[in-house]
Amino acid sequence: MSDLGIALVFWPTAALMLVTGLYVFITSSMARAGLLLLASLGVEGLIFIALASEFLGFLQLLMMSGEMVIMVFFMVMFMPDPGGLMGMDMTHDKRRSAAVAAAIAVALAVVAVLTDWPARAVGNDAPDVRAIGFEVMGRSMITFLFAAMTILFAMVGGVLLAKAGGRYGIGAPRGEPRGPRSDD
Amino acid sequence: MVSLPVVLAVAALLFGIGLYGALGQTNTIMVIMGVELMLGASMLNVVGFLRYAHPDATSGAFFVLVVMTLMAVEAAVGFALVISAFRHSRTAEVDDLTELKG
Amino acid sequence: MSDWTPVAVLAVALGGAGAVALLEQLVAGLRPAPAALARDAVATLRQPLRRPETYDTWLFHLAPGLLVIAAVTALATVPWAPGFRGIDFQAGVILFGGALAYVTPAVFMAGWGAGSPLAVVGGFRWLALMLAYAMPVAMVLTAVAAPAGSLRPADIVEVQHAVPMGLVQPLALGLWLPAVVAVCFLPPFDLPHAPSELGGGTFAGYRGLDAALVRLAQRVLLVAVSGMTAALFLSGWHGPLLPPALWMVVKTAGVAALILWAGRRLPRLEIDRALALAWKVANPLAIVAIVIAGGLTLGFYR
Repeated sequence: MSDLGIALVFWPTAALMLVTGLYVFITSSMARAGLLLLASLGVEGLIFIALASEFLGFLQLLMMSGEMVIMVFFMVMFMPDPGGLMGMDMTHDKRRSAAVAAAIAVALAVVAVLTDWPARAVGNDAPDVRAIGFEVMGRSMITFLFAAMTILFAMVGGVLLAKAGGRYGIGAPRGEPRGPRSDD
Repeated sequence: MVSLPVVLAVAALLFGIGLYGALGQTNTIMVIMGVELMLGASMLNVVGFLRYAHPDATSGAFFVLVVMTLMAVEAAVGFALVISAFRHSRTAEVDDLTELKG
Repeated sequence: MSDWTPVAVLAVALGGAGAVALLEQLVAGLRPAPAALARDAVATLRQPLRRPETYDTWLFHLAPGLLVIAAVTALATVPWAPGFRGIDFQAGVILFGGALAYVTPAVFMAGWGAGSPLAVVGGFRWLALMLAYAMPVAMVLTAVAAPAGSLRPADIVEVQHAVPMGLVQPLALGLWLPAVVAVCFLPPFDLPHAPSELGGGTFAGYRGLDAALVRLAQRVLLVAVSGMTAALFLSGWHGPLLPPALWMVVKTAGVAALILWAGRRLPRLEIDRALALAWKVANPLAIVAIVIAGGLTLGFYR
């Protein structure tokens, strides 16, 4: 993509990403919060594609849609006001957290803009997918294995945490819940 | 136009928004969403470096992959904790879940 | 990717949607009547959009647009001929999976936005269904990409010049078809949307342009999914006698007809049956399919 093309894609999508990200915490409807987060991180995937990392961009788009709908599920289950009809204020320390967040964001941005990054003439090619594959299976195999084990432990641990009464079912209500099809 | 400092600055702003959510929201799930935004900002940083500084750094692309995966994993474990906490004390608010006992 | 690709993709989308409409009539045993279909479409478009009783108007009206965008993006990744490969990204197969994944939030937005209790229930049932069936789609895409050594759909077609992937990996094909029919919200997996269930389901509230966009998106999705099935499993454009593009069209039409016919013949699956099928059968077998694909790659496709 040409520099002009990148600029044309980047500025609107970056603005959209930041605005939808901010609205995640302003809106009072929980489904909208989850879907706004999907919009924000999905649009970030588009930015990845514009910055020539198309593999990562596609993966970001793919994963975010699944994650965010799961979030919407959980929010509707566990939040006191998922529809946002009662207009509850779900924040604490709004001013202080906004001040801290703004200070840190500005500090990071100032560091980013003022640092003397080494000037490199680079073309618009991100790593080839095959090269990433060789990297994963070759040099970064240990990291990959650890990530895989972490996922496995998280899956098992998550199921155990969520199970009523812990691993042995102590104190959980007895018997299978009787659903419409009890012959499975 | 769009250059490395610009991408890093945008990522810094996104990080700030995520931090505002993580610090300021009372519900655990909203805090998790704030953390997701922060991790998204770090990924944007790495992709910026990948494009403007080291295009052949496949380890950078792998880093983004791992962060993406761990975003999902962290959210999953967070939700499992929310289920467990809700079952125990009927609330998922960060302000009420202040005791480790029980 | 030439400058004409977006236009060509849109042309394929609209033409394909029309062809699917005629195919639906054929499969139902009726004589295809394009004029009647066109009149029907115009009548739907002329209805006014549904007004205030929606619960979340923004989400309600955004959903059909998102559906169409997802469908057209999925269609754009399908390779139709050696000269017209759609948007030929090197990770095209992942873009296909990602585009299909956006059908999930879109239909949920339709259900939640409508606000009527049955529509919301339909939306949540759809979420449960899609969380279960999205994984076999992604895993089968991996299993099919491994022997080709590439995530580019055109490369996967090229590697099938001798033997179609469907013959080499029948398990993958058997898992792919139900999963992909579920994503297209077609029968037998359409419990959340069927007009005769749950008070009309998630799309009951749509009128006018919204309803037309939903039907268009469903048909474009069917074309995209059938085309990708033909490309990934049925050797794509390879075949004797006919020109490559024509082979793709024939194979796509065949898969689409099969899906529509199966939808009419098979009884609609209840939610817990569909979910049990996904979690207890499809997901474990998808992992097995990946292992088989790995073995095939090492053994035959070096």
